[in-house]
Amino acid sequence: MEKHLSEKFYLAMKKLEPRYPNKKALILPALHQAQEEYGWLPKEVLEEIGTYIGVHPAQIREVASFYTMYNLKPVGKNHLKICTNVACCLRGADELMNFAEKKLGIKCGETTSDGMFSLSEEECLGACTTAPAMMANDEYIEELDVNKLNHFIEKMKVLKI
Amino acid sequence: MPKCTIDGKEVEFKPGENLITVAKRAGVEIPVFCYHPGLSVVAQCRMCYVEIEKMPKLQTACSTNAAEGMVVKTQSDPVVKGRAGTMEFLLLNHPLDCPICDKAGECDLQDNSFGHGSANMRHTEERRTYVDVDMGPVIEKNMNRCIHCTRCIRFGEEVAGIHEMVAIQRGNNIDITTIDGNPLQTEYAGNYADICPTGSLTLRDFRFRKRAWMLKKTSTICEGCSKGCNMEIQHEGNVIYRCVPRENLEINKYWMCDEGRMNYHYTQDEKRILNPRSGATFIGWEDAIQTLKDQINEKPLTVLVGSDLTQQELENILEYTKNYHKGSSVYHFGTEGVFTSAQDLPVDKILKMKSKTSNLNGAEKLGIKSVQEMKSASDVVLVFAGGRANVQSVTKKLEGKKLIGIGVYSLNEAESFSMVLPSLSFTEKDGTIFNHQGIEQKLKRAIQPKNTIKAISEILMLTANKKVKVGAN
Repeated sequence: MEKHLSEKFYLAMKKLEPRYPNKKALILPALHQAQEEYGWLPKEVLEEIGTYIGVHPAQIREVASFYTMYNLKPVGKNHLKICTNVACCLRGADELMNFAEKKLGIKCGETTSDGMFSLSEEECLGACTTAPAMMANDEYIEELDVNKLNHFIEKMKVLKI
Repeated sequence: MPKCTIDGKEVEFKPGENLITVAKRAGVEIPVFCYHPGLSVVAQCRMCYVEIEKMPKLQTACSTNAAEGMVVKTQSDPVVKGRAGTMEFLLLNHPLDCPICDKAGECDLQDNSFGHGSANMRHTEERRTYVDVDMGPVIEKNMNRCIHCTRCIRFGEEVAGIHEMVAIQRGNNIDITTIDGNPLQTEYAGNYADICPTGSLTLRDFRFRKRAWMLKKTSTICEGCSKGCNMEIQHEGNVIYRCVPRENLEINKYWMCDEGRMNYHYTQDEKRILNPRSGATFIGWEDAIQTLKDQINEKPLTVLVGSDLTQQELENILEYTKNYHKGSSVYHFGTEGVFTSAQDLPVDKILKMKSKTSNLNGAEKLGIKSVQEMKSASDVVLVFAGGRANVQSVTKKLEGKKLIGIGVYSLNEAESFSMVLPSLSFTEKDGTIFNHQGIEQKLKRAIQPKNTIKAISEILMLTANKKVKVGAN
């Protein structure tokens, strides 16, 4: 079978393996690691992880689709995940979502045509004390308002990262 | 043995048994959806709540093993309330389309809703709907009715040995589907419909043909292979509508293959010969018996018997040839390449056996030799077959001989015969067969045969009788 994942991935897995009671427990870290390499999780990668861990690829797919933080579709360079659960909702998350949709010209769950931004809804980020919050890639951005979000998106556009 | 108390009754149990099994023995039924005795326990549906003394919360009976001195209540107020709550949640998205659902009448969801749920609902929101994938020729899917018990997923993984059903997404968005929407590959797909506690997975073969409560049930044995799976023929008005497996832990557990499940079709096929046939014309029984008598005329014969016949039929044939055709030789035939029970090996790790006839073992027990050992044949050959034995495999060998077929034949098979006398198929006769393990099991008549066909014993009796008086036809 053709390999899709790098040596780095397998080295990282080797390092993690002694931490867990069995190999099955590696599914979550393996998916994270693979997503770091690819940005999302293509079918072939899921299959390769399945073969490596020794469970059926279907089970890997079930796990990957269970958690919202794994992307089963390609995403843009900047993945904005806005929390819309209770605390954030009360502090204006819906407004933020509407603004972001208008500003980027896409709907929630879509990616801009230049591949710069993806927008999605997130379940509770655990940042209720600093609501409303969002995640931009791996970074938390808290106590948001429309101005702050606008500023952030502009900054990203200029930096082109 | 240790004891526990269920609803005031003291019950003995073996360590490791869960409360559902123990309660069943005490005559107490605990409602379940996700639990199935043949599958692993996941405690997902939360329907089997019971109250256990000294435990603060309700417990799921499927995942709780009985323990010495345990006091279990299955009808207390918290339990009744808990089950009603579970039922209400399970029905949130269920379309309640029982009037057009094939499962109605034998549906766990329907039964448990009636027994433990409420007739009213408080839910007014829109229900989620799905676009369904095509699951192949055996199973029809309707995800809207699903309650995510995951029995199908576990069946594929644990029994069928192929992980092809998956649960994608979670919570309200969950979709129980096949990998990438592929059609099912397993040859045991019919079981998905049996174990589904709702009308989510239904059998295409049975869809919209009959309501479940109208069917009469006859317990019999599958004749698809030498495994001898226990099954139930469900029929009404002398028409078979479907076959479902019966529990037998020694043989087929709870399962059955699709080949066996659909096997009954040939008995109702319009190509099955239901009148005596000489050459290409159909004749009456009186003529047929007379022609048969003239042709075999107490000479020694080569007699071929299908290993799909019952023990009683085989004995009849042996006795007949011994008494009326001295010096005859009898051989059994069935599946090409499988001539003895030593060659009859499992096809897979589940149920299927190589021998596609049910009574190979029984034929050997009676001392009948395999057709492989046949060196030469008489000019007239009698071929007895129950419908399942591969007739073409022997007609090829016997080209040039005059073949007389007695049993279940299709029009295609009959072409190589000079005469065919129709007899009973496995759905129309009683008898016993030995499966590959040597277990003797009983076939039972499910439907009345047409009055133009006769049992093998009757045909032999009429042939042996000097002064023939044929009744029907």
